Amino acid sequence: MSRPLVVLAFALFVVAGLAPIGVMFARIGAGDLAQIFEPRSLALLGRTLSYGLGVAALALAVGVPFGFLTARTDMPLASVLRPLGVVPLFLPPMILAMVWTVVADVRGAPAAYFVSTLGTFPLVSLFSARAFERIDARQEEAARLAGGRWAALRCDLPLVVPAALCGACLAFVFTVNDFSVPDYVSWIGTPKFNVYADEIFATWKIDNQPGRAVAISLPLVVLTLATLAPALALRRKGAMASLSSDFRQPAPIELGPWRWPAFAFCAALVALGAVVPVARLAWEAGGGPRGFDVEHLSKAFSLAIERGREDLQNSVTWSLAVATLCVPVALVLGHALERSRRGRWLEPLALAPIAVPAILFGIGMIVLWNHDWSARFYDGAGIALLLYSGRFVAFPIVIASGAVAALDPRLEEAAQLAGAGPASRLARIVAPALRSSLLGGWVLVFVLALRELDATILVPSANHTAMFRIFNQVHFGRDDFVAATALILLFLIVLPGLLWSLFARRRLELLP
Amino acid sequence: MTAVRLSQVVVEANGRRLVGPLSFEVGEREHVLVVGASGSGKTTLLRAIAGLARPASGAIELFGQRASDGAKLLVPPERRGIGFLFQGGALWPHFCARKQIGFVLEHTGCPASERGERTRELLEWVELAGFDERMPATLSGGEAQRLALARALAAKPRLLLLDEPLGPLDFELRDALLAKLGELQKRLGLTVIHVTHAPHEARGIATREVRMAKGLLDGAVAP
Repeated sequence: MSRPLVVLAFALFVVAGLAPIGVMFARIGAGDLAQIFEPRSLALLGRTLSYGLGVAALALAVGVPFGFLTARTDMPLASVLRPLGVVPLFLPPMILAMVWTVVADVRGAPAAYFVSTLGTFPLVSLFSARAFERIDARQEEAARLAGGRWAALRCDLPLVVPAALCGACLAFVFTVNDFSVPDYVSWIGTPKFNVYADEIFATWKIDNQPGRAVAISLPLVVLTLATLAPALALRRKGAMASLSSDFRQPAPIELGPWRWPAFAFCAALVALGAVVPVARLAWEAGGGPRGFDVEHLSKAFSLAIERGREDLQNSVTWSLAVATLCVPVALVLGHALERSRRGRWLEPLALAPIAVPAILFGIGMIVLWNHDWSARFYDGAGIALLLYSGRFVAFPIVIASGAVAALDPRLEEAAQLAGAGPASRLARIVAPALRSSLLGGWVLVFVLALRELDATILVPSANHTAMFRIFNQVHFGRDDFVAATALILLFLIVLPGLLWSLFARRRLELLP
Repeated sequence: MTAVRLSQVVVEANGRRLVGPLSFEVGEREHVLVVGASGSGKTTLLRAIAGLARPASGAIELFGQRASDGAKLLVPPERRGIGFLFQGGALWPHFCARKQIGFVLEHTGCPASERGERTRELLEWVELAGFDERMPATLSGGEAQRLALARALAAKPRLLLLDEPLGPLDFELRDALLAKLGELQKRLGLTVIHVTHAPHEARGIATREVRMAKGLLDGAVAP
């Protein structure tokens, strides 16, 4: 491993990902900690905990069957439904909330549970599907010979459970740290559904007390880290098991008369999470309740582009730049995490930007960079790039380290014996072998940066994005061009995955 | 001249002793078979000689030069003049046959103008002429293993380490590869340390056989 490269990559990670967190925790005063134990904070924490656990359980309940049916059975159109099932994960949760609160006329807690389950079940299904297809055919056949299909399923389940639980842990983390869905479903009427992330935002925004905001975020940070730790252990145990060279792909399981009911279940999930939201937005953009027509739709798109051109451009260029910046850093650090002796101990540090609520991260950026000496940087696009890089670089790092774990170390050793230096081995042996994972990391950062809202809200010069424009406009009324802007954003979000699935032969690896 | 000398070498991992203390010498142009059951420490021994596993204590000398002293690597793996045929080949999945060899030649200072010719020569040695653009996934077990051998020889090593080179091959291919190994060893004047759990197959070309059990050498026996 190249020490200068690792030091450089780590320095970038510290500046972008750790410094905003460190500077915030330094602000906590002794009196601030008392706020954690105030009845209001404890009640919100309890509600957030049950919200996260409930969504994770629901995501497990629908994600495991979806993963199984699309990856291992002869269900009709399984190969089409499988990639479509990932789309809800990519859609901004607030847009899902925007759609479902009007389509189903639900508000408050039921809306938050429903929308968050739709947005996070793909995490469970992705992990489960990969685990199901990594079971060697001979293991399954041995179980079938012993006791038929049920014996095979009983043999498969323990191999899939760690991966599914890893997905559920991530669903929990995404849910408890999300601010936009509870905020939206509470904003448009009763019943309110305030969660802990709201409280952090309110403490900062209304009280303007960074120390207090950080102090009350501590339970959430602990909760998130406590969930990510088992998620990573489960990933190592189940989701990331590498395939032996004589691996035999299991044959699809024949569902017989259950083929079409299974199809209906999976198609319904895809419809709820992707098709209905897109269709509803298209309907709104085309005139909605006043009557849909194509001319209206075209005008709405023209208006959306005219008003939001600069924000859309910012969203795309910033997301492209951030994804491209994050991947080389992730390659170096992901490799170092897996191959160095102290790597395992540094993993929690790499996860810190994910563990900290986005709102807190945004506040940290302000505290760190809002000074006279850094005013030019703070007022420019650089702060947005730094904010998104710091928030999201952890994802490609974890994906890359997972891929390195599955990479035969002898490939690097053979190159080392040939005289290839650490940088050359990384660029010419490791990176090509990790191509699918690195591209997966790139796509993930691009998508997450495009849909980022929670931290963007706080940092003024990062406000000029399409997602922020939608957030702002939707609070002032549901005009047709808002729906059109959301559709343009959704198109941009799914574009890389769409292009990949159309033209690439390999599968995009989005999992750590 | 002594090609390899190990003095009281101990290799540990996670606080567990894998090999040693072990002292062992291999003369130049010898072909030594190291035999033993799975988990006896054979591969770890090869990796320590190559510098890929760091000994906890003891010294390793290669061709009269101290290569490691305790945990200190005095000569890095890439400067030890070693060719390593890994178990299973460990071919780089994204490089065709030509690039597998070209990569090694590039890093061992072979001028670009000579690489094509040298690659052709190496592929001919292992009877893979015309396989230049073939990817590892399209090769049979025997072809992949011969390509891995060509790659191991590309750096013109003085010492060749073979880790179960016949493992994945059927009987006919084993005989062919052994014959090729014997021929190349003579032609190139190589010293070979050959790890296997099936010694009867390689006795024809070996000059000596040593047995390993639980990380220790049981003593030398005549091949």
